[in-house]
Amino acid sequence: MRSGLLGVERALFWTLAFAAFAAASAGLAARAVDRVAVGYEQSRNAYAIVRVLAPDGPAGMAAAETALASAPHVTSAAPMTAGRAAALLSEASGEPIDPEHMPDLRLIEIELAPASPQADVAGDIVAALAAGGVTAEVIAAPDGASGGGLAPRVRNAAFWGAIVFAGMMAVIAWLAARGLAARRREMVTVMCDLGATRSQTAGRIADEAAVTGLYAGLAGGVLAVIAGVIVLLLAIPGTTLNTLTAMILPIDLVPVVAAPLGTAIAAGAGARAAAGHFHGQAARLG
Amino acid sequence: MVRLSNVDAGYGASTVLMGLDFEARAGEVNLITGPAAAGKTTFTHLLRLALQPRCGRSVILGVDVIRARPRDIADAKRRIGYVAENPVFIEQWSTFDNVAMPLRMLGQRPREYEHDVRELVDFVGLGGAAELAVEKLSGAERRRAAIARALAAKPSLILADDPTAGMSPADGRRIVKLLSEMRRVGAGVVIASQDDTLADCAPMWVWRIDRGRLSQPEQTEAADAEAYE
Repeated sequence: MRSGLLGVERALFWTLAFAAFAAASAGLAARAVDRVAVGYEQSRNAYAIVRVLAPDGPAGMAAAETALASAPHVTSAAPMTAGRAAALLSEASGEPIDPEHMPDLRLIEIELAPASPQADVAGDIVAALAAGGVTAEVIAAPDGASGGGLAPRVRNAAFWGAIVFAGMMAVIAWLAARGLAARRREMVTVMCDLGATRSQTAGRIADEAAVTGLYAGLAGGVLAVIAGVIVLLLAIPGTTLNTLTAMILPIDLVPVVAAPLGTAIAAGAGARAAAGHFHGQAARLG
Repeated sequence: MVRLSNVDAGYGASTVLMGLDFEARAGEVNLITGPAAAGKTTFTHLLRLALQPRCGRSVILGVDVIRARPRDIADAKRRIGYVAENPVFIEQWSTFDNVAMPLRMLGQRPREYEHDVRELVDFVGLGGAAELAVEKLSGAERRRAAIARALAAKPSLILADDPTAGMSPADGRRIVKLLSEMRRVGAGVVIASQDDTLADCAPMWVWRIDRGRLSQPEQTEAADAEAYE
């Protein structure tokens, strides 16, 4: 650690630490995007609107409410008031809308807890309403086939984006560590002259680079955690360190754990390749 | 120990050594002498297994160089003590650590080699500089450190390329005598130098090299005397 922070390899150490920080930050950001997307998808799937088609009048609405009370997947049901509808429309259009100008909506908002992801929620509810003498349709969030389902694509993009970015950072670590081998060229020459094999020489330099990479990756990972905590505290009003601790899942910390390991492996591999090359040059003149 | 038969060697398109026939045996000292750019350094590169012969046959410490696997070459190199014209060290390391390097590479622990290495460093006159970083040593001191390192692992073959360069005549002769003493423990010694007066430092075979060609050896009188012992 001492040589990494204070010795001649300070530049390498901080290059590796920066790469690890960037990769871990990208990983943490991907996890945050994933969590938000999952939450969004869950809230989409947990809400639908029932439009009562028949019978007409308040009797139809009352019958529908009664049928929904025992319908599968439904956890709560409430008729949409004119005020609520006006508020939603105002939010969507940006224009103020007077509730008194709203028509008779005949809509019921329902909250859902689907029994299984494969369940035909809308079909089950329509059937339950029909059994109660109500003709209705369920307006659910659109699925992937009908233009919805953005969240899985966002999650995929975040995951693969983070992987590609981490890969680029690994290439930077790999290249930076080659510089270490160049600076250890005298050691390579000495070891070669004294009868070290290519793998012994390369291993010696790779070990040094891997240890530097491990410490640099730890530093980068810790910095990424600090940056992530600051961003979350600023982005989510009312959040405290205690609530953050409760929010964070073990899987969210995978990028932080992977940072030192990945940096050590990338740096070790880069130094090994370069040292092996230099050993080859020293071993065979002419 | 070393046998070269009709060997050519060189770098890139240029051939430096031509038709070499050479033999060095255990317990003998060989002096390769000749003018500058005659091929002495290339010759030592050939013997220290850093340069592949282009043709002919080269057997060094039992290894047929052209046919050998890299591991066999590395094994043979561990039995060669090499003193380069411009020795390469790990500059930030102390003299002691640099001299101990061959023993560390053989897997010895510090307590196993510490006494021997200190004795060796004292023997070459660097006792006071043992803990000094090599980058702080003078040219002559570096050469002594290189000699100490070359002897550390008790090699079977000792190669020295111009080991007396930059030294006073007295110091140079002392160094050659020191190297020559290694024949008594069964090592073969090959010294390349422009200075042919070194031939009277110890009994030895003297080979003259010029424009890449090696003459037949001459034995010094002392060597003759010892040969009959």
